Amino acid sequence: MIANRARDEHDADRVAVRIENVHKAYRSGNTSTPVLNGVDLTVERGECVYLAGPSGSGKTTLLSILGCILSADQGQICILDRDISRLSWRGRTTLRRQRLGFVFQRFHLIRGLTVIDNVCVPLTLRGASPRAAHKRAETLLDAVGLAHKANAHPRNLSAGQCQRVALARALVGDPDLILADEPTASLDAANGQEVMKLLRRLTTEEGRAVVLVTHDHRIFPFADRILWLENGQVADMPESPPSGASIKEDG
Amino acid sequence: MWSIALKTLVADRGKLLTALVGVVFSIVLVNVQGGLFLGFVTKAGLLIDNGRADIWVGHRKMHNVDFPRDIPRRWVSRIRGIPGVKAAEPHLIGWTDMTLPSGGFESVVVVGVEPVSLMGNVWNVTQGRADAILQTDGIIVDECELEKLEYPVLGDQRELGGRRARIVAMSHGVMGFLVAPYAFTTFERAAVYLRKDPHVCSYILVELQPGADVDRVCEAVARRVPDADVYPRDVYSQISTDFWMTRTGLGISFGAATLLGLLVGMVMVAGTLYALVLDRLGEFGTLKAIGATERQVFSILIIQALVMAMVGAVLGLACVAGIQYTLSEPRAPIVVPSWLSLGSCVLVSVICLISSLLPYLRIRKIDPMMVLQS
Repeated sequence: MIANRARDEHDADRVAVRIENVHKAYRSGNTSTPVLNGVDLTVERGECVYLAGPSGSGKTTLLSILGCILSADQGQICILDRDISRLSWRGRTTLRRQRLGFVFQRFHLIRGLTVIDNVCVPLTLRGASPRAAHKRAETLLDAVGLAHKANAHPRNLSAGQCQRVALARALVGDPDLILADEPTASLDAANGQEVMKLLRRLTTEEGRAVVLVTHDHRIFPFADRILWLENGQVADMPESPPSGASIKEDG
Repeated sequence: MWSIALKTLVADRGKLLTALVGVVFSIVLVNVQGGLFLGFVTKAGLLIDNGRADIWVGHRKMHNVDFPRDIPRRWVSRIRGIPGVKAAEPHLIGWTDMTLPSGGFESVVVVGVEPVSLMGNVWNVTQGRADAILQTDGIIVDECELEKLEYPVLGDQRELGGRRARIVAMSHGVMGFLVAPYAFTTFERAAVYLRKDPHVCSYILVELQPGADVDRVCEAVARRVPDADVYPRDVYSQISTDFWMTRTGLGISFGAATLLGLLVGMVMVAGTLYALVLDRLGEFGTLKAIGATERQVFSILIIQALVMAMVGAVLGLACVAGIQYTLSEPRAPIVVPSWLSLGSCVLVSVICLISSLLPYLRIRKIDPMMVLQS
């Protein structure tokens, strides 16, 4: 009994995401379209896991469920030791604000704010003082190599620079889990590689878990694991796995 | 939230300017319309407010200072004996025609003042002296009415009620609610101009001794002359004002114009805020996705609406001050008391807050998942 509890506690310390038998369907009138059909997934802290697969396979839906933005119809979802299905919408919002970091395909920076103000947004939402938020943001901008662009506006940055700002924004609040949606889709190869190097250096090396949705084969070498989603289920990769990554079913 | 709200608001200068125009428009319209209204209202009780009398005694059901009925002049002596009364003097107000040099006529309100105390006499005299009415045939007119009287100068003669009158002094800004100019003179001469029996008067003006209680003296006067109406100065001034408010459409027309201004301002602010939100749906979605609560998102809108209101109010009040300085004149005075300015700012702020509800309803519908689907 004591041994089991000790193992559970050790498990909780080690595991960032654990989902079991997750189902999700979208309804339109009387029609129900299943998107996820019994997905199991475990992501450990410090691990970088890619979700790959064809369009409509449920990658973004799964990412949204992990990000507490979407509710699953069925299944057990445990994010950072919290049972999501038992959390209210407000509780999920708090979890997103306090412990998750998001990187979006189109960056989604706020146009009216400078680079440093954009990076400060998550801390502002947490109620941090402007001075403390700026200090932390400066550190992150330095880490992504954009300290000299702190007072620039996003419209004056290249796509690669915008994604690095978005990365700094995702990390500024020291989140335990980073969720990235096609972070290199809007970037050229060089910028994509650069962003991924930064993402790996600033996340998994510091013990943060990363779940990343991508179609981009060029960045597969940066993954610890790649899960192939097809027809709402984790499946075998249809082709030979790219070098530098192990592709396997989870659970 | 303040920094996010302010910086995103300022970033879109075009829309911010549009909203500010709406707020400024509302503030200017409310204050100028309200100021004109109050200016006219002030004129309705002009003779009462500036006449030095603490109590006005007149005919039963008296309702307007410019349209009095005759009362016996002998009541003066009854009132003089009441404790607390310092002075009680007869006062005559009536209408007659002034003959003009061109052969035309102009209706004039003649005000007859008791010559010793000069209670109820003209004020703000800019040419000559107020006591010049004691001179033979002396009358005092207002220099703002010179056009109607065909530009007389001091010493010029006119006819009032077929009798000679000589302009011996001029005031500035003593213009009543009506179109007819005032002509101040002595009581006896006014009775002649108005062809009145000198044993009647329009009002008895009462001045109180220092420290006397106005309500008590009013009660005592009412007991002593039970057939008269007796009012303290401010009450009769209000009665005269109410006469115009209730018997004309003045209040309604000014009120409607003011309401229209507020409505236009509200539509402009609501439209601008809504356009700002529509333009930034993705950004609000992003904020929600990274953990902004509904309350935080709403507070951004509230802050933006209030900032628009405050900046617009300051600019609007500056415009009002400019308009007041350049356009306010005795004929159409723009009286903008501080309570009107403050009230309009509060009203516009409330309107801006209400205006922020419409875009908020749109924001509420934003699903944070939209940022993952684009």
